[in-house]
Amino acid sequence: MPLPRADLESLLRARHLDRTLTTALPPVEYDAAACGITALDVHLGGGFPRGQVSELVGPRSSGRTSLLHQMLAAATARGELVALVDALDMFDVESASAAGIDLDRLLWIRGHVVSNPGMCRDLNQRALEQALRAFTLVLQAGNFGLVAFDVAEAPTHAIRRLPFTTWLRLQRMVEGSQTICLLVGSEPMARSSAGLTLRVAMRDSRVGIRDLGLGIRFSDRLFDGLNIDARIVRSRSRGDHVCLPLSTVAC
Amino acid sequence: MFACLYQPLRADLRRSVLENIAREFSPRYERHGDDVVTIDVDGLERLLGPQTAIADELRREAADRGVRVHVAIAGTCAAAVILAHARPGVTVINRGEEPAALAPIAIGILERVECLRRVDDLRPINGHRRSVRDTPDPEAVEMALTTFKSWGLKTLGELAALPPADLTSRLGRHALVWQALARGEDIRPLIPTLDEERFESSMDLDWPIEELEPLSFVLTRLLEPLSTRLERRDRGAAVLHLLLRLVTRGSGPELYARRLELPSPMRDVRTLRTLALLDLESHPPPAAIDRVSIVVDPTPGRVLQHTLFTRAHPTPEQLSTLLARLAAVMGQDRIGAPATVDTYHPGAFAMTPFKTDHRAAPRPQPPAPSLQPPLRSALRRCRQPVPARVALADGRPIRVTTDRRGFAGGAVVHRAGPWRTSGDWWTGSAGAVGGAEQVGGVAEAVQDLRRSVLDTPERYGARASARGGGPPREVKNAGPHAFNRDEWDVALSDGAVYRIFQDRETDAWFIDAIVD
Repeated sequence: MPLPRADLESLLRARHLDRTLTTALPPVEYDAAACGITALDVHLGGGFPRGQVSELVGPRSSGRTSLLHQMLAAATARGELVALVDALDMFDVESASAAGIDLDRLLWIRGHVVSNPGMCRDLNQRALEQALRAFTLVLQAGNFGLVAFDVAEAPTHAIRRLPFTTWLRLQRMVEGSQTICLLVGSEPMARSSAGLTLRVAMRDSRVGIRDLGLGIRFSDRLFDGLNIDARIVRSRSRGDHVCLPLSTVAC
Repeated sequence: MFACLYQPLRADLRRSVLENIAREFSPRYERHGDDVVTIDVDGLERLLGPQTAIADELRREAADRGVRVHVAIAGTCAAAVILAHARPGVTVINRGEEPAALAPIAIGILERVECLRRVDDLRPINGHRRSVRDTPDPEAVEMALTTFKSWGLKTLGELAALPPADLTSRLGRHALVWQALARGEDIRPLIPTLDEERFESSMDLDWPIEELEPLSFVLTRLLEPLSTRLERRDRGAAVLHLLLRLVTRGSGPELYARRLELPSPMRDVRTLRTLALLDLESHPPPAAIDRVSIVVDPTPGRVLQHTLFTRAHPTPEQLSTLLARLAAVMGQDRIGAPATVDTYHPGAFAMTPFKTDHRAAPRPQPPAPSLQPPLRSALRRCRQPVPARVALADGRPIRVTTDRRGFAGGAVVHRAGPWRTSGDWWTGSAGAVGGAEQVGGVAEAVQDLRRSVLDTPERYGARASARGGGPPREVKNAGPHAFNRDEWDVALSDGAVYRIFQDRETDAWFIDAIVD
C-alpha cells in the first residue's frame, strides 16, 4: 500500500533527506546580513541569509566581483571574519582595498585552477575539487561571517562535473550556523540547495555619460563604471523576484 | 600592575627575605640583587582589594618579618623600581600616570637604580633577545648619564621630553633605553625568578609505529597529562617539540624532531594533537618510531572574554587547526591575509600570515543610505597575463582576440586610455611580462622573508615591530621586474570589459584583468 505524501515527507525529514523537497522545508528563522546596498537589502529582507547557500551569478563583466567585494567589505565592517576561496587566483587586492574590505579579517585561499589547462584536462577538475575541499574545511571551522567560493571564471563543464550531492552537503553543513555561504559563478550551480540566487547582468538601458547601449559607461578618456541589473532568481524566504538597477563606479 | 620592594638599609639585608615576601603574594616575581624585588600583582585586587591595600599588605608583611622596605606600585616594572628607590613608604601610581609621577624625580636616581643599570637586565627588549652586538657597553651607559648632566638635565621629565631622533644621533641607540626608563616604560618584561617547570612527556613503545593513526593515540596519551599540568600552572603551549626516535638499520637510533610554533598559547589536547599530526602528514618520519617525546615551551595562558554584543569569532585553536589543514590541502604559500604593497606595479600584492587572534571590533552603526559609498568596479587579475592579438587604427585598439579558451574577444566598442606606467627600471632586470612570477634571487628573497615571518616574535598577539616598524610581510607578485606598458580599458562587442596593455619593450599585447 503506497504511503501518503505527508508520511513520505516525514520519513525523508527524519532521515535528513528533505533538502530535495523545497516545498516541504520546515519554516526557518530568517537571519540576514546586510550587503551594504540598501535597495538590495530591502528586497532581500535584510540582506543575504545566514545559514543558507546563496548564489551570485552572472556573465563576465556583470558586476559579480563588485558585489562580492561589497559584501566582504560590509561583513568585515561589522567585525566579522570572512574567507574567500579564490579557485582561479584572480582576486585583486587593490580593488578589494578600494572597496573597503578590512584585509586583516579576510582569509584568502588561492586555488590552482587555471583558465588554460592545455592537454591536462583533469588538472582543473582536481584543482576545483581541492578548492572545494578547502571551502568545506572553512565552513566546518564555523563562526566565519561570510565564506565565498569564487569560481566565476572556471570552465562551466568542470563545475557541472561536480556531483550534485556536493551542494546538498554544503547546505547541510551551513544550516543553523551564522555563516553566509556564497557561491560566485557564471551559472547557478547549487540548484535546489540554494537558498538565494541573485543573477546580475549588464543593463541594456541607455544610461550613461556616453550612450553605448551596453550598460558600460565611458567618459572621454576614462572608464566610469558599469550599469547592472540584479535580479532575485530564487529566494526561499522572499517571494518577490524583482529586478534592481545598480551602478558601479571605477576605482 | 607591578609592585617593587626596596630595602634601603643594607645593614639589615638578609638574602632571601624579600624573595620570601614576594613569594607569599605571587609566583611571578623577579629578584634584582638582594635589596630589590619586583612582583606582578595583577589579579590580587580580587583577593586583597585596591592597589593601596596591596601595597599596605606588602609593607605589613615586611614589617612582620622585621624588614623596613619602600613599596611602590605602578603600571610598569621600571616605574615601580624607580619610585621605590626615590620615595620612602608606600607609593601607588595608577596605570598611565607613570611619566607624570617620574617627571620631578632627579635624574641622579638612574645612577642609584643599580638593577636597571645592570647590562644583563638591559639585554632583552620587547620580549626577544638582542644580539651581543646590541648589548650596551657599561662605559657608554656611564658616559650617557654624564652627558645628560653636562647638558643641564636635572629631572627625569626633562630627559623624557628630549626628541628621540636627536638623542639617538648624538648618543646612540642605548640612550633611548635611558629615555624609556625616564618615561617609566619597561625595556623588558618581568622575568620570573623561579625557573619555569619543564613540561615534557615521553613514552617508549614495545613495537615500533609506522603509521600516523596509531601515533595519534600515543600523542593523546602524552598530551593529556601535559595539558593538565599546563592548566594548573595557568600556562599555554607556545612551542611544541615533537621528538621521535626512529628505528633505523644504521649505527644507532636516529632522532626525528619537529618544532611547531603555535600562533597563540593553547593547551587543548585535540587541537595540539591535530596540529602535530597535520605537521607529520606534511613531513612524515622516514622510519618506524619506537619512542615518542613531547616537550612544550610554556607561556602565560590566554584570557579570553567574549562579549554579548558581537558575533563569536573562531577561537585561535579553531583557526590554527583550520590554517594547518588548509596548508596541507592547498600549500602553505596559498593561504593568508592579503595586503597591499607600496608600489605602482600593476597587480602587486603581499600575503601576510592570517592572524588567529582577532579582537572583536565594536559594531558600527550602518551609514545612512545617502552616505553609503558607491559600489566600486572590481578587477579580476590574470596572474599570468593572457597574450592577445590587437588590431589598431590610429594607434587605438579596434579589435582584441586571443587563442585562450574562454576569452572570445571581439570588436572594441569603446576604449579608454592609454595610460603609460613604468617602474622598477632601476633594478636593472629586464621584465618578464607582467612580473607575475618570482625567479632566481627574488625567490630566495621571498624565502628569506618567509623565514623571517616564521621567526617573528609577533606570536601571541604581542605585535612586535620588525623591519622598520611594521609587521613582516611576505612579498608576492611584486618582483623587481622592470615594467613599461601602455594600458587601455576596452569594452568588447561580447559585453566584456578588459584591461589590456602593450608591453613597450616587446610591443606585445596582453589581457591583464577583467573588469567585473
